[in-house]
Amino acid sequence: MWSFYFNELMRSLPFFLKGLWMTVAVAGLSLIFGTIIGFFGGIMRAGRNKPARIIVGAWVDLIRGTPFLVQIFIIFFILPGIGIELEAFPAAVVALTNLTASFICEIVASGILAVPKGQREAATASGLSYYEQLRFIVLPQAMRSILPPLVGQYVLLVKDSSIVSAIGVVDITRVGWLTVQRIPEGLMVFGLVGLLYFAVCYPLINLSGYLERRMTVVSTKL
Amino acid sequence: MISFKNVNKWYGDLHVLNKIDLEVAQGEVVVVCGPSGSGKSTLIRCINRLEAIQKGDLVVDDMNVHDKKTNMTKIRAEIGFIFQSFNLYPHMTALGNVTIAPIRVRKIPKEEAEKLGRETLTRVGLGDRVDNYPAQLSGGQQQRVAIARGLCMRPKIMLFDEPTSALDPEMINEVLDVMRDLAKGGMTMMVVTHEMGFAREVANRVVFMDEGQIIEVAPPNDFFTNPQTDRGKYFLSSILTH
Repeated sequence: MWSFYFNELMRSLPFFLKGLWMTVAVAGLSLIFGTIIGFFGGIMRAGRNKPARIIVGAWVDLIRGTPFLVQIFIIFFILPGIGIELEAFPAAVVALTNLTASFICEIVASGILAVPKGQREAATASGLSYYEQLRFIVLPQAMRSILPPLVGQYVLLVKDSSIVSAIGVVDITRVGWLTVQRIPEGLMVFGLVGLLYFAVCYPLINLSGYLERRMTVVSTKL
Repeated sequence: MISFKNVNKWYGDLHVLNKIDLEVAQGEVVVVCGPSGSGKSTLIRCINRLEAIQKGDLVVDDMNVHDKKTNMTKIRAEIGFIFQSFNLYPHMTALGNVTIAPIRVRKIPKEEAEKLGRETLTRVGLGDRVDNYPAQLSGGQQQRVAIARGLCMRPKIMLFDEPTSALDPEMINEVLDVMRDLAKGGMTMMVVTHEMGFAREVANRVVFMDEGQIIEVAPPNDFFTNPQTDRGKYFLSSILTH
């Protein structure tokens, strides 16, 4: 029986690869948008405009303080009630982007704030503007402390993307649910699902570890 | 060149600068000394508005520093500032450190700025260190890069906030030598320092501060041999006997 199911599963492999592609598409788009929004948010959160700091801080707390499943339901089921209609795929990307951006915002803000105050003072004293300081002095140094947790956040993003299956996006997790109804070997089916996630995440985990080691070495050298 | 008129500053209830009146002429070298917490660092940090003042007028090169309409970039470009802790940019080479402001603020083309940077680093004795990162340099060398960074803007004024206090004793002189050369070259300088030998040798005047006030202003020889106030006497006896 087991080998029969295994052969069945192998025949479904293209379906799984389609799901993998969907997971990569949802996570990849959210990664790009989330990183851009997260950096802007982090710069504002560590910036000199107090209202902007408070608004961004409240947004981050709100997103971090509610379950992602609830957020995605709100975006997919409740927004249409006030006239914002989204398909499952864009709704998933919006929800994941929002989640990722809020976490990246905190990573970026703490990276910026970790740059010693004297760096900004020296740059101020030499006449560099606020944005020149940010671009040439503060951000390049902050990247040392931002990069390792940033890539770590990407790993979480790929894994959290499995929740988009709840609103009907056919990602790997959804493919697993659909397949297990045909091939009732849960362990085998979700073993494959897990393996595919791992295949995406493992290089990222290694990259994060590598960056962490490299950044520490460089920062002690400098 | 620098003019304090009834300048006052508070940190909460603490009156850190109390009715400061002081004129520094072009080409003059003024050493500021006093016990820790007397407001001497705050005094020079106000000159390029690293600190704000609450009352009074502070005019630099005919521009009012604490007027909101004043273009601070323009004033800061004319003032080199040297920190106790160097504050070099660790991710840039010595040459990168000294050329960033000339390129971005003075809008000098990169090749020209690098030529100027090499010349200036050579002038402070670091012509062979242009491609080194700050962490590859000793404290004295880092502080000389910091001075070169200030000089590359071709400033009218150089301010020094305890430039040798973070240095090992054997490195103090290499920094003071550079500062002596600057003083002899006619640079307007205000120097917060405890290096009394330096003060005697190059200062035109010594400003002695305590508790946010200027207590005495005198030529170095007068101040060191014959302070006019008890606080001045007490301060000198405590630093000369240590």
